[in-house]
Amino acid sequence: MTEIPLTITDAAAAMRAGTLTSLELVEACFAHADALDGELGVYLHRLDDDARAAARAADEELAAGTDRGPLHGIPIGIKDIIATNEAPTTAQSLVLDPAWGAQGDAPVVARLREAGAIVMGKTSTMEFAIGMPDASKPFPVPRNPWNTDTWPGGSSSGSGAGVAAGFFLGALGTDTGGSVRIPAAFCGISGMKQTFGRVPKSGCAPLGYSLDHIGPLTRSARDCAAMLGVMAGADASDPTTADVPVPDYLAALTGSVEGLRIGVERANHLDAPGVLPEAVEAFEAAVSWFAGAGAILDEVEISRYEAIRNVGLITMRGEANSYHQSDLQSRWSDYGMYTNRFVAGGALVSASDYVQAQRFRSLAREQMAALMKPFDVLIMPTAGMGAPLVEGLDDTSFMGWPVFTPFWNPLGLPVLSVPMGFTNDGLPLSLQIAGKPFDEATVFRVADAFQQATDHHLQVPSLVSGAVTV
Amino acid sequence: MPVPENVEAAVRGMVDAAGLPVSEEEFDSFVAMYPTLREAADGLYIEDVRYEEPALIFTPVAPTPAAVKE
Repeated sequence: MTEIPLTITDAAAAMRAGTLTSLELVEACFAHADALDGELGVYLHRLDDDARAAARAADEELAAGTDRGPLHGIPIGIKDIIATNEAPTTAQSLVLDPAWGAQGDAPVVARLREAGAIVMGKTSTMEFAIGMPDASKPFPVPRNPWNTDTWPGGSSSGSGAGVAAGFFLGALGTDTGGSVRIPAAFCGISGMKQTFGRVPKSGCAPLGYSLDHIGPLTRSARDCAAMLGVMAGADASDPTTADVPVPDYLAALTGSVEGLRIGVERANHLDAPGVLPEAVEAFEAAVSWFAGAGAILDEVEISRYEAIRNVGLITMRGEANSYHQSDLQSRWSDYGMYTNRFVAGGALVSASDYVQAQRFRSLAREQMAALMKPFDVLIMPTAGMGAPLVEGLDDTSFMGWPVFTPFWNPLGLPVLSVPMGFTNDGLPLSLQIAGKPFDEATVFRVADAFQQATDHHLQVPSLVSGAVTV
Repeated sequence: MPVPENVEAAVRGMVDAAGLPVSEEEFDSFVAMYPTLREAADGLYIEDVRYEEPALIFTPVAPTPAAVKE
């Protein structure tokens, strides 16, 4: 029987110690998927044969002394709005032209593959990374392994649930308003939205051109750092990428936060409607840990919080509607019932509104630079709630939830979500750690130190722990 | 641009102009959504933004490879 290591770091160590092969790991992950995916709806397309062949090659390389680094032989999932060589890319939609996906590996997938990662398959998403599950369409409705009556979050639903369920050890998601960090939060794993421009997003079906980020989901912050280290760097195919040196993120993980300056943002988060008392308790426990570990904490309050969040809302509506308008006119009913309504809302936003949002964005960038100047990172909850029930989800659900991710997308700053505890119903809660532009290294350092002292990120849903059958 | 008195007429005009083939139920959801969306947009027209440049990026050099299809 092959037990699946919980983290990329552990699996990499086991492979180098000779106690695990990539092929054994791939088989064990597929066995989990065989047992659970009918319930969880993680995969849209599995690549069993290709993954096994790649794993054999990875094992042969490692045996011959060729080591591609921390992702060598590691199974990963790819959100199905990102193009890959082997599988169709659907964006979980009847609308996307199959020819679009025939472009081959997106740059970020090519980089992961070159680093030895094993692509296991394409994962479920909200249609075009927006909307809500629509059971009338021929795609799975994703479920949360912590409680299958609940939603794993989105839009990178399959990537989040798949990591939590041991279908793969890392995955790619995309984040336009929280679509990496929300599934990370609801599934009890870690998820990174790095600085805008850090990772090329070409080869990914767009939602909001100036808000989209392709980011990693893994159990630990260390694993996210390992993935981002491979994914990051400018690419000529995406002119929004920045030619900024990529540091060695793993080398930055000192295990210490001593002397780091952390701004604690309670004002716009803890009193928001719907925030659970246990979310406040878990957040305060995290704050206490940082203080006890030698960080220098101070209270901060972000002004114009709602307006900056609305900058993202207006921008996303306008950019998404631009991409989809022709198809909305001619193929309205082919879209999911919540996708078309949300995207078409962009028709109610004027061109002036869109440009004004970009002017406000300049102001917000200056404001946040000044606010963050005395600090290394800011911390706040990812959400004040656990995963919601699947039953009753619709296009307005998000509006009533205490979810604090969308604020950060128009700012483009790096934000990592990591587990910080559980609700009274046993659902994961999550902490956000936000950093300065291109300073993901400090964000990872803070999160890794927290995770070296806590085990929230290592908890496994009972549904999964009973499913190891290899 | 404040929320118009006749929201339904305003939304009807924008939906028709965009050529969206919505059902009556979907149209009603737009009418319900519009005041919130309008207020969100109106809230961005503040004096502090008066002399800000928009955060837009344009370069006259085409990206390479230019074959990424969207």
